[in-house]
Amino acid sequence: MSQLRKDPIVGRWTIIATERARRPAAFVDPQSTLSDPKKCPFCHGADKSVYESQGVKVFNSSSPILDDSKPFEHHSHGLYDVAHSYGSHEIVVETPLHIANMADLSSEQIARIFQTYALRMQTHRKNPFIEYVFAYKNYGVAAGSRNIGHSRSQIMAVPVLPMRVTDKTSGAKQYFETHERCLFCDMIDQELKKKERVVAQNEQFITITPFASRFPFETWILPKNHHCDFAEGIKDHESQLAAMMKDILLRFKIGLNDPAYNYMIHTSPVKRPSAFKDDYHWHIEIIPRLTRVAGFERGTGFYICPIPPEMTAAFLREVDIHA
Amino acid sequence: MPELRRDPVVGRWVIIDSDHSKGPSEFSREDNTPTRQAICPFCPGREHQTPLEVDAVRPNNSPANTPGWMVRTVPNKFPVLSSDGFLQKEGYGIYDQMTGIGAHEVLIETPDHDKTLTDLSKEEMQAVISQYQGRFRQLSKDSRFKYVVIFKNFGPSAGATVEHTHSQVIALPMVPKTVLEELKGAQQYHQHNSRCVFCDMISQEYQDKERIVVENNSFLAFCPYASRYAFETWIIPKGHSADFASTDEVIRAHLAQILQDVLKRAKKALGDPSYNYYLHTAPIGYADGMCYHWHIEIIPKLTRSVGFEWGTGLHIVPTLPQDAARYLREA
Repeated sequence: MSQLRKDPIVGRWTIIATERARRPAAFVDPQSTLSDPKKCPFCHGADKSVYESQGVKVFNSSSPILDDSKPFEHHSHGLYDVAHSYGSHEIVVETPLHIANMADLSSEQIARIFQTYALRMQTHRKNPFIEYVFAYKNYGVAAGSRNIGHSRSQIMAVPVLPMRVTDKTSGAKQYFETHERCLFCDMIDQELKKKERVVAQNEQFITITPFASRFPFETWILPKNHHCDFAEGIKDHESQLAAMMKDILLRFKIGLNDPAYNYMIHTSPVKRPSAFKDDYHWHIEIIPRLTRVAGFERGTGFYICPIPPEMTAAFLREVDIHA
Repeated sequence: MPELRRDPVVGRWVIIDSDHSKGPSEFSREDNTPTRQAICPFCPGREHQTPLEVDAVRPNNSPANTPGWMVRTVPNKFPVLSSDGFLQKEGYGIYDQMTGIGAHEVLIETPDHDKTLTDLSKEEMQAVISQYQGRFRQLSKDSRFKYVVIFKNFGPSAGATVEHTHSQVIALPMVPKTVLEELKGAQQYHQHNSRCVFCDMISQEYQDKERIVVENNSFLAFCPYASRYAFETWIIPKGHSADFASTDEVIRAHLAQILQDVLKRAKKALGDPSYNYYLHTAPIGYADGMCYHWHIEIIPKLTRSVGFEWGTGLHIVPTLPQDAARYLREA
């Protein structure tokens, strides 16, 4: 019989298929070949960067959906609220080399990319209109990326708190009010006891497949020590985080045959940081794009995960990344 | 300049790309015309290839599991939840889990393999809607269930795995998150204003007019102000009603008419897009009927949701809702 599992943070239930679970190998989904480096805009582009250091360059998006040239305005239209789409949208080109997958960059380079995210987050949070800064990556066409073949990620600074962020922060706050402890810290303690959902760990970071995973091979990286904010929290730990990220991305690449994936850094909202200091805990969600989200999931927010996370964690643990 | 818009029910912000609002011709077109399949298990004469039917519309009272039906509901051969067993809830440290109890049914909308919903006659379409209601009423009697979801995946890119036109029914032992969010938002609004937020939305849509697609005596179809997807369309009863299961025959006939009308418009304006729709209604036994208002959300599958939207819940919508409504009105 399948199981229903509840995410302790946002309260979302997931159906986890157990008996009819698909085997891990059934998800292997190779990508189409990547495009010609001679036409790569990130190898040959002449756009002016907003930040550049040690092979990492940050550009303003050439087709931005957000714009900070006018001050933020917010008004109502009867029942509805509307604002102009204020903010920034930046592209982080992660390497001068035409390499597609972050898994193939050196740990040192990945550490520089995380430092760049932290610096951009700190820059954007000085803007009083900005409520949240996202750093995220779409790798591969199925994850929403254009097929350019040059490793990059994106940063978005927005003037509102998006719904998935408030879901997480309010769930964590409720737990803290009841227990006077951080929910994520408790989760890490529990995961370390039985280890069945632990994929990898080092001194500072742990990687798990969450108990109520929405997607097959959904994976979270969490800092073992409590910190609500990514930009502050990674100080002095960039190289350990980079090593952990490379480790996980290599497990995906080798174990699942180079799948498309997304990752997203979840950190505290930028305003009133003291309000999140004790109860929120930054983390990175990484999701290989192996299945399509269908009508039921979109309409209900109720996910059907075709394989238990214990099985995907075991599969990922056993991938030989040194092969 | 693009706009940020906030959904008044759940408080979700979306980004609407008003600068380059995309028209129907800018989305790729699909062809979802059924192709004759030799071994379709949903076709009449193959009733034995499905699990035994749980309900059907049989105008000539033909026996169960034989031909002669207009609409037929069978348990899903590969259910995601099982209807046999006890609901057992367990705590496991900070985690909660329960046994996967529920019902998962397939509602075959017509015996005719060559037809889709837009090809059905008035009577056939009405039979589909009354079967929806029949399943709600039947499954609501099971004390293990708290919610019944009726939804449709049309076309492979919207998740349909069998071509023969069908809807799905899933009964759940809890209320799904998206519905809970709507209930919570609607309750809050009702506390402050003593009015239903959906009723207020309907009045504002009448004032603004530009997002209305079509209406009939009982229903309004419109593209929501803070749509999450291009050409997202809602069908909502004009009169306040929390519970779909309580609708009478006249209302059901009007629903059949407007649902088919909107689907025909989407087909004409957008090619033959894959789409999903789902019925949002109050949970089983919901007492606070003044706050909630049932409706159907129709979402043509025109774009892929990308990493950003999945990770943030902040959708980026490439078509202005008033433009979408105009294309659908004129179709």
